[in-house]
Amino acid sequence: MNVIETTNLKKFYNEGTELEVRALNDVNLSIKQGEFTAIVGPSGSGKTTLLNIIGGLDTPTYGKIFIDGKDISKLNENQLIDFRLHHIGFVFQAYNLIPVLSAYENTELIMLLQNKPEQERRKRVINLLKAVGLEKQIDKRPAQMSGGQQQRVAVARALASKPKFILADEPTANLDSKSTAQLLDIMKKLNEEEGMTFIFSTHDQRVIDRAKRVITLDDGKIIQDTSTLKETY
Amino acid sequence: MRTILKLAWRNIWRNKKRSIITIISVFIAVFLALIIRSMQLGMYDNVIKNVAGNYTGYLQIHNKGYWEDRNLENSITLNDTLIKKINTTEGVEDIVPRLQTFSLASYGNTSKGVLINGIDIEKENKIRSLGERLSKGKAFVSAANEVIVGKGLAKYFSLKPNDTIYLIGQGYHGMAAAGKFTVAGIIDLKNLELNNLVIFMPIKTLRNYLSSPDIVTNLIILKSEKTDVDKLRIQLLKNLPENQFEVMTWKKMLPELHQAIVADNAGGLYMVFILYLIITFGIFSTILMMTQERIFEFGIMTAIGMKKKVIIKILWVETLLLSLIGVVLGSIVAYPILYYFHKNPLPLPSDKADMMEKFGFLPEIPFSISTDIFITHGLIIFGIAVFVALYPTLKILRLNTLKAMHKK
Repeated sequence: MNVIETTNLKKFYNEGTELEVRALNDVNLSIKQGEFTAIVGPSGSGKTTLLNIIGGLDTPTYGKIFIDGKDISKLNENQLIDFRLHHIGFVFQAYNLIPVLSAYENTELIMLLQNKPEQERRKRVINLLKAVGLEKQIDKRPAQMSGGQQQRVAVARALASKPKFILADEPTANLDSKSTAQLLDIMKKLNEEEGMTFIFSTHDQRVIDRAKRVITLDDGKIIQDTSTLKETY
Repeated sequence: MRTILKLAWRNIWRNKKRSIITIISVFIAVFLALIIRSMQLGMYDNVIKNVAGNYTGYLQIHNKGYWEDRNLENSITLNDTLIKKINTTEGVEDIVPRLQTFSLASYGNTSKGVLINGIDIEKENKIRSLGERLSKGKAFVSAANEVIVGKGLAKYFSLKPNDTIYLIGQGYHGMAAAGKFTVAGIIDLKNLELNNLVIFMPIKTLRNYLSSPDIVTNLIILKSEKTDVDKLRIQLLKNLPENQFEVMTWKKMLPELHQAIVADNAGGLYMVFILYLIITFGIFSTILMMTQERIFEFGIMTAIGMKKKVIIKILWVETLLLSLIGVVLGSIVAYPILYYFHKNPLPLPSDKADMMEKFGFLPEIPFSISTDIFITHGLIIFGIAVFVALYPTLKILRLNTLKAMHKK
C-alpha cells in the first residue's frame, strides 16, 4: 500500500507570464509504508516544494496527491490542518519548537490538540523522549537545550501524533557531526523497529548514505530514483 | 482551556519589560479613572442628596398640571384608595405629604410674601430633620398653632421665638385665609433663597388656615435604596388613575441641577475617554508587537496541526490577561483610597465652601464607592481588550502557513 502517491504533480509560479517558474513539473511518485527516503537535488530543484505539497502545506497547480489513498488536493484549509495533525509529522530545519514550552510540553502539545487522554499522553511522551535519549531533559525549554537536543525533541513531537509518515526538511542542516549521527541513529531505529516512514529533503551526504531510497530532483523533475534503478538492474 | 491559559500566560512573560509596562499603563489608567469618576459621582450624589433629598425628594406625585400652575385648585384630595395604590407599588417605602401655598406675612409694620410649607412632622423627618437645622427656638408639635420661620425671613422681620406673626392669603376654593401664629423656632436651611421665603407649620394647621381638610399639593415618594427612580416613576404612572396625576423625578423638578450635573459629568467622561484612548494605543502596540514577532511561530503551529481558532483563543486570552491584571491591580489599589475619602469626605477650600453652603450644599466631596464604578471601568477595559484583540484575530484568519514559515 502506498502511503504517498502523486500523479502528474505540477507547481507553477507566475503561470502564463514571462516570470513563470516551474518548481515541480510532472512529478509522479509513490512512497510505501516503512520507507526511509531522501529527496536530493541542487538548490531550487523543487525539493522543499515537493515536501510542502506532500505535507499539505501547499497546493499543486495541477495533478493529484494521495495520502493513504485520500486525495488531499481537494481539502480546504481547515481540513488540511486537521489532516496534518492526524497523519503527518514534521521535522523542520530550524527545529521550530514552541519556545515557552518544555521538551515534555512540546511533545505533548500535538496529543493535546488530538484530545488524547492525559494518561495516554503521559505514557507516550515519556516513551518518545526516552527513545530520542532526552528522558533527563523533559523539563527543559528549547533555549536550555542544544540544537541536536532540540531536533530530537522535534522528532519526538513529530512522532507523538502517531502519523503515517514524517517529513523532514533538511533536518541535519544546523547540526554538528555528532548530533547528526545521533539523530540519524534514532530515526533509523524508529524506521526499522516501528516501521515509521521517513521522507527527507537534504543536501547532507551523511543522510543520503543512510537512506534506503534516494530521489534526485532537478528543475522540478525526478531525474533519478534509486528504487527504479534497483528494479531496473 | 488549560493549555490555552498556560500558553497565553507564558507568552505574556516572554518579554517581561514590555508586559509590565503595558500592565502598569492599564493600572494607572484604571486607578486615575476610578479616582476621577468616584470623586465626580460622589459629588453628584452629595448634591442630589442635599437638594433633591432634602428639598424636593427624588420623586413627587402632583395633581396633573400642578407643577406648571402651583395653586390650591390643582391640589390632591387624599383618600385611602389613592394611598393604597401608591403604597402597594413595588419600591415605594413611604409617602410624605406636603401642602404648599403662598401668603402674605405681616409682623409689626412690615409685610412680605412667603412660601408656607405644611408638613407631617413625623414623616418629614424621614427626608430631613428640621430639628437639626434649627438655629433658635424649638420644633413645633403636630396640630399646634406654631410655625418655624426661615433664617432670612426672621432677620427681615426681626423675629425671635415666641413672637407672633400674621398670615393673610387665599384659601381653598377662593375662601379668605387669615391667622396668627407663634414663632416656635428659626431654621437655617443652608439655602439663601429658601431662608428668605419659607415658613413651616404642621399640615393640619395649614389645612385649617386654608379651610381645606384633606388636601395636599405634593406627595413625596420615599423609595427603597435599590429602586431606580425612573423605573419607579413609570410603575407609578401605570398604577395611578390615567390623566389625573403627574409623577415627576427630581431631574424634571430641578432641571437646572440636572443639566449642571450632565454638563459636568460630560467633562469628566471626556477626560476619562482621553485616558482610555491613550491606553488603547498602549495595549494595541503591545499586542501588535506580540503578534508580528510571532508570525513564524503561528505558521509552525498551523503546520503541525493547531487550528487557527485555537491560536486566536490564545491571543485573546493574552490580551484579556494583560488588561485584566491592570484592572485588578488598579481596583485593589484605588479601593482603600476611595473608601477612606468616602468615610472622610474631602473638604472644599474655604472660599468655595462658603459658596456651596449658601446654595445649601455640604461643603465637602464624599467619594462614591458604588460597585457600578468598578464594574463600568472593568467593562470599558474589557471592551478595549476585545477591540484590540480584533487585530491578531484578523491577522491569524489571513495567515498563510507557508508564507508565515518564511518570516523568521
